[in-house]
Amino acid sequence: MIPVESESSTKNGMKVVYVAKENIFQYLKERKEEGFDTLLMISGVDYRDHLEVMYHLLSSSSGSRLIVKTKTNDEVDSVTSLWKGADWHERETWDLVGIKFKNHPNLKRILLAEGWNGHPLRKDYPMDKKQYVNLGDDGEDIVSYEKTEGY
Amino acid sequence: MSDNILVTSLDEALKWGTGKSLWPFTFGLACCAIEMMSAMGSDYDWARFGSDIFRDSPRHSDLMIVSGTVTKKMAPRIRRLYDQMAFPKFVISMGACASAGGPYVRGYSVVDGVDQVVPVDVYVYGCPPRPEALIQALKMLQDRIVAGKVKH
Amino acid sequence: MEDRVIEINFGPQHPSTHGVLRIKVKLDGEIIVDAQPVIGYLHRNAEKLAEMGSYPKGMIYIDRLDYVAALNMELGYVLAVENLMDVQVPERAQWIRMLMVELNREASHLIWLGTHGLDMGMLTPFFYCFRERERILRIFDEITGSRLLYNYFAIGGVYSDITPKAIEMIKAWTDDFGSKLEEIQSILGKSYIYVSRTKGVGVLTAEDILSYGVTGPMQRASGIKRDVRKNSPYLYYDRINFDVPSRTEGDVYARFLVRIEEMRQSIRIVKQVLDKLPQGDFYNKKYSKPMLVRLKTTGESYVPTESPKGEFGIHLIGDGSSIPYRVRIRSPSFANLSSIPTMLKGYKIADLTAAVSSIDPVFGEVDR
Ligand code: SF4
Repeated sequence: MIPVESESSTKNGMKVVYVAKENIFQYLKERKEEGFDTLLMISGVDYRDHLEVMYHLLSSSSGSRLIVKTKTNDEVDSVTSLWKGADWHERETWDLVGIKFKNHPNLKRILLAEGWNGHPLRKDYPMDKKQYVNLGDDGEDIVSYEKTEGY
Repeated sequence: MSDNILVTSLDEALKWGTGKSLWPFTFGLACCAIEMMSAMGSDYDWARFGSDIFRDSPRHSDLMIVSGTVTKKMAPRIRRLYDQMAFPKFVISMGACASAGGPYVRGYSVVDGVDQVVPVDVYVYGCPPRPEALIQALKMLQDRIVAGKVKH
Repeated sequence: MEDRVIEINFGPQHPSTHGVLRIKVKLDGEIIVDAQPVIGYLHRNAEKLAEMGSYPKGMIYIDRLDYVAALNMELGYVLAVENLMDVQVPERAQWIRMLMVELNREASHLIWLGTHGLDMGMLTPFFYCFRERERILRIFDEITGSRLLYNYFAIGGVYSDITPKAIEMIKAWTDDFGSKLEEIQSILGKSYIYVSRTKGVGVLTAEDILSYGVTGPMQRASGIKRDVRKNSPYLYYDRINFDVPSRTEGDVYARFLVRIEEMRQSIRIVKQVLDKLPQGDFYNKKYSKPMLVRLKTTGESYVPTESPKGEFGIHLIGDGSSIPYRVRIRSPSFANLSSIPTMLKGYKIADLTAAVSSIDPVFGEVDR
């Protein structure tokens, strides 16, 4: 049994647990064996002084739900080996919040163009500094800060 | 005999023909595309106005309706599709997003208006514009083509 | 062997991608050996923009997520905000919400059915479906004043009451939509070509479904009978009789049948709601418009709802100011779409359009 650091709940009574970052893979694995077989989503939150990763779990047989959170500064373990669906969610979290997932098979940007600078859902992302995207000859995107270089 | 022959220059006839047989391009981007489909669907039936069924390839079509938000990742692709269309070609920018960025204008990955990417002939306002508005835009474009006011 | 594999690009502009999906397909002859979807061509920053304005302002971005079922999206958001702020909603407003949401589910499924027909090479169902959908849109037009994006649900209720004329329209619609649905179903379901192109195609097993987090009609077509409306009821779904259709085949045809049956159930729900609609306020008077922009809160909440595509939920985190700190959207199409590699592997290239359109992806919601 992996210990939880603290426990709380959302306003509508969903259980929220905090788990240490080192144990997150093991903890989620235990929960999966326990019956939380669906991973609804993975998301990241930027709290200015630290980052947090949230995992929304659901048990498809009993219908109970659990939100697992972990605090981190840069990276956590990937859970793609537990749920295949985690692949895209982790890529999205990397893309928009900038949390790295260790052992992820293909950690690339998913929503923004490859080569984008910064992670927009960080609170300190410069919204006034525009970036422009163009298409290279090989079909890949090229990102630059120059307005003349793209759209 | 000669009294009955309508005298016109070939140019006029060509313009009239182009205007009345616009072939739009199946190209939906976002919410506005659904209203574009409504305009093509049973109730509004915009084939009545000489703009027949939507074509699936840019090379078959001469009207591009940019229906939805143009994101930075999509913009170069729109340009490429536009370049693939054969002359004469026309563009209708449908909705607030395509015309000026719409509700997403403050976003980090949205182009403020498709006119930064391709030249636009008619803008339609609304979020989304009703199908009637799109049909009006089509009529306007046709009138302008027939009158020779469209440059490209 | 290796050089026999060719790679083709499907999309982002293609008539049957339902938007701006791109799939990199690797083919060995006709057989798909690998299919990797590429998304993000409609990334409109909904989460960031919702975190830049007040709580009611976020609604316009939420509305535009799944634009064919905008009311279902709005519902997820208002429920989350109301939950976070302990807003009481009058009973009539809740029933009106239920009515509107079910009507919008029908409209969404009709769009799906029409475009699915197009993808399978049939033009007729498209016109039938749009004819029926326009009737629903006219009801929405009467009640909310717009056709596609409504911004109709407000924190604490709905923006306008439903008029007697609208009730008449809904009644007339419920009376004969059932037979129209029968007609539409028979165009596809009785066509030998359609059935043989969809049976046994794009199969997802229950195991795949759980692994990818697929929800909604796709999940129910693979034998997992789970519907948020039944399993953890919100609004007044617990006071209403309806069935959750499910199949066990997990192929495109099963998804077709599940969605058709869901539309029948929605008619049932609409009928019951009309019978039970109580009199009273449609709006909590305490939350007038100027008051709304000043709403402040702390804490967090995640409220799951059943949208036409699957489980839709918003995780809201407040930090005590009038601007939400984090708006996280769980979009069903995103998870559903991520199952494409498993779903397409081993099938023929001609099955690709059938399988992709059976997911019913809406890109506003996939890319957010
Ligand atoms: S203008 Fe409005 S309806 Fe059209 S794509 Fe933009 S947000 Fe959607």
